[in-house]
Amino acid sequence: MMLNILTWLVFLPLIGAIIIMTIPKENVNVIRSLAAITSGIALVISLVLWAGFERGATGLQYATTAEWFNIGFLQINYEIGLDGLSLPLIVLTTIVTTLAIFASFSIEKRVKEFYLWTLVLLTGMLGVFVALDMFLFFLFFELTLIPMFFLIGIWGGKMKEYASFKFLLYTGLGSAIMFMTFIAMFYKAYEAMNMQETTFSMIRMAEIFADPANPDVLTGAVKGALFLALFVAFAIKLPVFPFHTWLPNAHVEAPTAASMILAGVLLKMGGYGLIRVGVGILPDQAARFASLIALLGVINIIYGALLALVQTDLKSLVAYSSISHMGIVLLGIASFTTAGMQGAIFQLVSHGFISALLFFMVGAIYERTKTRTISELGGLSKSVPILAGFTLAAAMASVGLPGLSGFVSELLAFIGIFGASAEILPAATVFGVIAGLGIILTAAYLLWAVQRTTFGPMKEKFVGLADARPMEYVPMIGLLALSIVIGVYPHILSDVINTTVIDIVSKIGG
Amino acid sequence: MTAFDANWSLLTPEMVLAALALLVFTIDFMTGIHGKKPFIGKLSVLSLLVTAVLVLFMNNSGGQIADLYLIDSFAMVFKLIILVGVAMVIMISLHYLDRNEEIYQGEYYSILLFATLGAMIMVSSADLITLFIGLEILSISSYALVGFKKHHRHSTEAALKYVILGGAASAFILYGMSFLYGLTGSTSLLEIGQVMPTLFADYTVIMTISLIFMLVGFGFKISIVPFHMWAPDVYEGAPTPVTAFLSVVSKIAGFAIVLRVFTFGFLGVHEEWVMIIAVLAAVTMVLGNIIALTQKNTKRLMAYSGIAQAGYLLVPVAALPFIGTFSINMILFYSIAYLMMTLGAFAVISLVTEDAGTNDLSSFAGLFQRAPYLAISMTVFLVSLAGLPLTAGFIGKAHIFFGAAAADMLWLAIIMIVMSVVSFFYYFGFIKQMFMTAPKANDEELKVPTSLNAVITVALAVTLILGILPNIVLDVFNTFNWFALF
Repeated sequence: MMLNILTWLVFLPLIGAIIIMTIPKENVNVIRSLAAITSGIALVISLVLWAGFERGATGLQYATTAEWFNIGFLQINYEIGLDGLSLPLIVLTTIVTTLAIFASFSIEKRVKEFYLWTLVLLTGMLGVFVALDMFLFFLFFELTLIPMFFLIGIWGGKMKEYASFKFLLYTGLGSAIMFMTFIAMFYKAYEAMNMQETTFSMIRMAEIFADPANPDVLTGAVKGALFLALFVAFAIKLPVFPFHTWLPNAHVEAPTAASMILAGVLLKMGGYGLIRVGVGILPDQAARFASLIALLGVINIIYGALLALVQTDLKSLVAYSSISHMGIVLLGIASFTTAGMQGAIFQLVSHGFISALLFFMVGAIYERTKTRTISELGGLSKSVPILAGFTLAAAMASVGLPGLSGFVSELLAFIGIFGASAEILPAATVFGVIAGLGIILTAAYLLWAVQRTTFGPMKEKFVGLADARPMEYVPMIGLLALSIVIGVYPHILSDVINTTVIDIVSKIGG
Repeated sequence: MTAFDANWSLLTPEMVLAALALLVFTIDFMTGIHGKKPFIGKLSVLSLLVTAVLVLFMNNSGGQIADLYLIDSFAMVFKLIILVGVAMVIMISLHYLDRNEEIYQGEYYSILLFATLGAMIMVSSADLITLFIGLEILSISSYALVGFKKHHRHSTEAALKYVILGGAASAFILYGMSFLYGLTGSTSLLEIGQVMPTLFADYTVIMTISLIFMLVGFGFKISIVPFHMWAPDVYEGAPTPVTAFLSVVSKIAGFAIVLRVFTFGFLGVHEEWVMIIAVLAAVTMVLGNIIALTQKNTKRLMAYSGIAQAGYLLVPVAALPFIGTFSINMILFYSIAYLMMTLGAFAVISLVTEDAGTNDLSSFAGLFQRAPYLAISMTVFLVSLAGLPLTAGFIGKAHIFFGAAAADMLWLAIIMIVMSVVSFFYYFGFIKQMFMTAPKANDEELKVPTSLNAVITVALAVTLILGILPNIVLDVFNTFNWFALF
């Protein structure tokens, strides 16, 4: 039987992991190459999908459905497919993971396990972005939990155990809330169809919620509660204030490659889930709570930026900047305009590349200087000019300098928020203005941090540090180039996402 | 009822097991009390497998002995679970007894077989007296098993505690039963069940007392809060395979009789007890999981984990009146999952703690470096106990969750899920020790004996297969009419 290409993509890393399992742990080079090859093939497949994706076509592509198992009267299907929302994130996942694998060639400790978990994680992340059955979505979501727990807990920094358990409990709680909400949605849909139909399919669920046979079941209160529960579940992952406290610990303690994946991809699962399940199935409720979403978005932007401003550790600064940047995603979603929704997706992708690059740079600097404390660094532009240059470029991209991807996503999100309909978002202008001021803070903390670390007098102890190794150019150039490409030619991305975005926004009548 | 023209052949599996247990006993005498006797252990495993085959074979008859003893699908599946469970416990014991020569080996195995016999009688009985006899055979055998390391203070203390508290629990059950008999003049659960609604209306107070007394006694046997106090001490003091036996086989058999008594006897008045069971389930889940967080001793931790798991299993009992025999599917599926993941975990614990000479959690430090297969298997068992996907434990819990939601007990389902997240903390504490802590300096590679390897591999395979393809078992369950009489 010819398996669906998406299925191959999702399970290929798992096959790679199983092959690695059979290789003796002493053969580190074989293991490294195998991991790189596996993720490389996944990357190629995702690019093939990208190339073959039919732009402008509504609905799903490369979709397939098969019955998996049933418990009682609950039928769980293996249902996967791609649309303009999931495809960019698939490509983001394979790129970031492949580059993270390259970036972690310097890891010497327990190499075999490291790549094993990274590849399992890759399967989980890809699965999340292709799953269209809610149960399956949940399974993949949970599948990312254990590998990341190990990646942080074994290869992490000083407080790795604390960080890994905090990550486990927070995201575990998020998953639990998600699971309960999915089951509740399942039962409500079942009742709404007068007990005639059971489904876990997101597509079908959206249809039922839009047009129930028995509308009395799906009252505003029920739907509102369901949406808020979903929002909390995904807010923990994104993360949204006040559920963000796991993130600084996890990001700071995680090894470089894991930080890249965490910030680059895992957070995006939260944003993706919010759009796919929250807005996709309950668009009217998403619109109803638009002000709340926008408010939390603004809080995220400002609060994350203020905390970033006072960090003394370069890696925590980058971690808090992630919180700030995820606020833009919320803001874009809350506007319920085509531009805003595009901005949110652009931000997911763009931040994926930029934060991965920033974490990589911090990791590379730390490896050489053995410190991440901003005040102890300084003058890196003289000792390691190439690394310093890329750090500056990454910071520029993160600040949102025109010509780089961060600019496009922020611009779109702001166009969205200022163009939001007054019915959905009455205080749109206020949110927009405050958020705009918050963006200035981004420039402040990033540029200030870069200034303190790379410029100024060169510290004695940093004389003679080795600059970038050839292997390090791969992630640095790769990630920066992608940010530039999207910044200069956003059409490459908007081309893919447009149809889906218009489809999502049209459900709210925007 | 006229002359007792029972079809005694229905008892073949039980009689064969009793005969084989006596044979084991006799062989033990003939070979002298002391010394290692692994062949007796192997003979016991064989006896259990023979019995299991007979049980499977008997199912086609679907008969009963008067109203006393039922050979229905419900009993068959429980018996198979129990027999497989004890066979695995004995496989674990083979290694344990090899390391602990002061245990009289022949007696140990034959008593374990008699305990199994008691459990088999329990799950088949539909009569208060038969049920009580089965329960006592199991209980008294268990008391003896707990004290088998008789030169160890902890083991003796545990046995004494267990016998006193267990005796009290049995007294509660018997006292509760006496009210039923006093008012109905019958010990048959079926007859009691028929008159229960009117009886309850006429004698509400006495019936409530009877119900609560029996619940207290059964609650002790399945170790639910607030009747769980004995479990940690007894589990800690008992030889590790006996701990495994108590936490799995005896608990599952206990659930079987709870189900029998409450479906046959008290289903007609379910509004009286559903709330009590639901609250007990909630309290058990909450306390079991929270106290487990503080445990540093593996066996005490497994005791609290077992208490928490009993809470999960109690949820479908509370939902039973609303979703009917779906509950039985849930309980049996989760019992299989629980059996496999817990016995797998105990196999690892038994090996690791015996090797380290301490039950402390730190004996697992760096296990991954010392025995990767062991550590990975243990991780799967723990992840399954925690209820994470792609394991039997997850499917079992999800199944129970659906059931509770369908029975309009969403609050109970929510407690269950939240407490599962709490349980991550202590289950992953094991995982942290195994993967993230360096092994102690003098610890070398850990050799896994064949018998333990077999148990671990079977448990691992079943845990994973049922996690990915649960329909292998669920489809079979769906063809069963659990209680042939309904």
